[in-house]
Amino acid sequence: MRRRALMASLAALAAAPGRVARAQEAPIPIGLVAVLSGPNAAYGTAIRAGVELALGQVNAGAARLRLIVEDSGGSKDGAINAARKLIGRDRVAAIIGPTLSNEMFAMGPVTNARGIPTIGTSTTAGGITDIGPFIFRTALPEADVIPVTMKKAASRGVKRVALMYANDDAFSKSGFEVMRTAAAGTGFTILTVESFGSRDTDFSAQLTKIKGLAPDAVGISALVEPVAGVLLQARQLGFGRETLFIGGNGSNSPKLGQIAGTAADGLIVGSPWFIGKQDPLNLAFVAAFRARFGRNPDQFAAQAYDTLGILAAAIARAGNADPARIRNALLKTDRVGVMGPFRFTERRDPASTEGVVVLEMQGGAFRIAG
Amino acid sequence: MPPWLSDLLWTYQNVLVALGVNGLLALSMYVVLAAGQLSLGQAAFMGLGAYASALLSLRLHWPFWLVLPLSPVVPVGFALLVGGPTLRLSGIYLAIATIGLGEVLRAVYLNVDALGGALGLSGIPEAAPLWLIYLVLAASLFVLWQVGRSRIGRAMEAMRGDARTALAMGVNVRRYRLATLAASAALAGLAGALSAHATDFIGPSDYGFETAVSILSFALLGGVASPFAPVLGAAVLTLLPEALRGFADLRLVLNGLVIVLAVLFLPRGILPWRMRRSAA
Repeated sequence: MRRRALMASLAALAAAPGRVARAQEAPIPIGLVAVLSGPNAAYGTAIRAGVELALGQVNAGAARLRLIVEDSGGSKDGAINAARKLIGRDRVAAIIGPTLSNEMFAMGPVTNARGIPTIGTSTTAGGITDIGPFIFRTALPEADVIPVTMKKAASRGVKRVALMYANDDAFSKSGFEVMRTAAAGTGFTILTVESFGSRDTDFSAQLTKIKGLAPDAVGISALVEPVAGVLLQARQLGFGRETLFIGGNGSNSPKLGQIAGTAADGLIVGSPWFIGKQDPLNLAFVAAFRARFGRNPDQFAAQAYDTLGILAAAIARAGNADPARIRNALLKTDRVGVMGPFRFTERRDPASTEGVVVLEMQGGAFRIAG
Repeated sequence: MPPWLSDLLWTYQNVLVALGVNGLLALSMYVVLAAGQLSLGQAAFMGLGAYASALLSLRLHWPFWLVLPLSPVVPVGFALLVGGPTLRLSGIYLAIATIGLGEVLRAVYLNVDALGGALGLSGIPEAAPLWLIYLVLAASLFVLWQVGRSRIGRAMEAMRGDARTALAMGVNVRRYRLATLAASAALAGLAGALSAHATDFIGPSDYGFETAVSILSFALLGGVASPFAPVLGAAVLTLLPEALRGFADLRLVLNGLVIVLAVLFLPRGILPWRMRRSAA
């Protein structure tokens, strides 16, 4: 019923194109599915903050979009239930989220079958957009970021590498596959591949073996806690600055410095965004985020902030709340955000890696790698 | 079907699927608890059923009407295999041994690439319609109700009261325990196959310790006086998080509060009435 009324008013507005911009009485509902409870809540909270900040700016003057936030709890079922509720009850025109790649693999087929554009802001695993034509992502997949990191490693004279990864979570495993391909593609020799569990605390067997092979670099694909554990133990076992540590997306967190301290110094990691980028858009974003939330934004907030901007622009171009038109408008996105210039490929992945910066840990904090 | 009804069904389809599947899992827990054993292997058996059926569908492209009846085979096989040694254990030791089984299987799913590793298996055909899930649940309820009212049910209740007394009364405790474990594995396997073919994606973390505990909580909340009790417990625990969605941040707090209150004030479950026995 509500949808029909909305469509009718939009049709009336479309008949008078000059007035479309003032569609005050019927803000278009959009949904956000994020992990807001449980162990991964930090990611979802950052994403919600980024989306809300952007929404406030988009809606400045006239309320054009109405945001409905649902918690997925980090589980597949939670994500599916949230999406079904948003689409079936709230009649959203598009969904931002979910947070985890595993959630997208479960939720994506549902929203795609219903023809609702769904944009992951943090789903970096391989195969996400293969789910269907309505699944987008603004998160740069690891396949785009890690080769940039590897190139930086090559420029520092790395030739022989060892790889380590956590084999019990989808994100780390798929990051490792990318790392292996990228290392081979950059011309590195892979000496050995060692795996561990995300909750392991002892990595000495793997590290001792790697030390014996004396690689130029060690690539690690895992979430931030085990990466910190590996680095702390590596320093104890006598790994020095002659060995370069290369992180995947999981290492791209300020928590690394907080847990591992100076043991993490020298680790390099590629990132789609960096808080210290000096372009005016980014400076304004960081200042606005600090003013509203009283803390620094992270990569997830930045990606979510850009994503709402991209979606709002696409909805404005589509001219109404028809999901199919919004999808087509999304494909024509050409916009500069805090992460840099942004377009979608035909496969609905980010087209440009121009915004990727390689960061290096120094004194327990990230700075741009030299 | 009017559009509002089909919309409502679409919105809550996943909840309705979970309601049926969790009902089956609750029955799987009920079968062992009713015979006086604390097994926490139900999630592992569910995983075996889910993985085995998903592989049959994905790799061999067998039709679902063939896959579903076969889905209990692997979990029942495992139950018989591990049942021999583990059923010598009782109480908390059996619980720990069955948790171990679940963890071993999780490690196997993670490390065998043919099973998808940490990425799990996706693209499983959505072949399990809602009515089929509820048909299986209703049939299982009916069978367990009939069995519970018979001599077998009486023997199980005697074992639940005191295994040694039951043995002295001539109940073949060992055989009953093995049979109930196998029946429990079969129900969990069916639940696994149905849920895998209703959500199209499964992963190793779906069948771990957390799932085992939530299956146990279905039976704890509902009670084990009759097969309907744990199914009701499962229904409450499945619907509660959805019903409380409007409370946003307070959702988990209220969810926990309801469970704590139920356990404190209804120690024998929310459905404590026993079923009437047929004359023996």
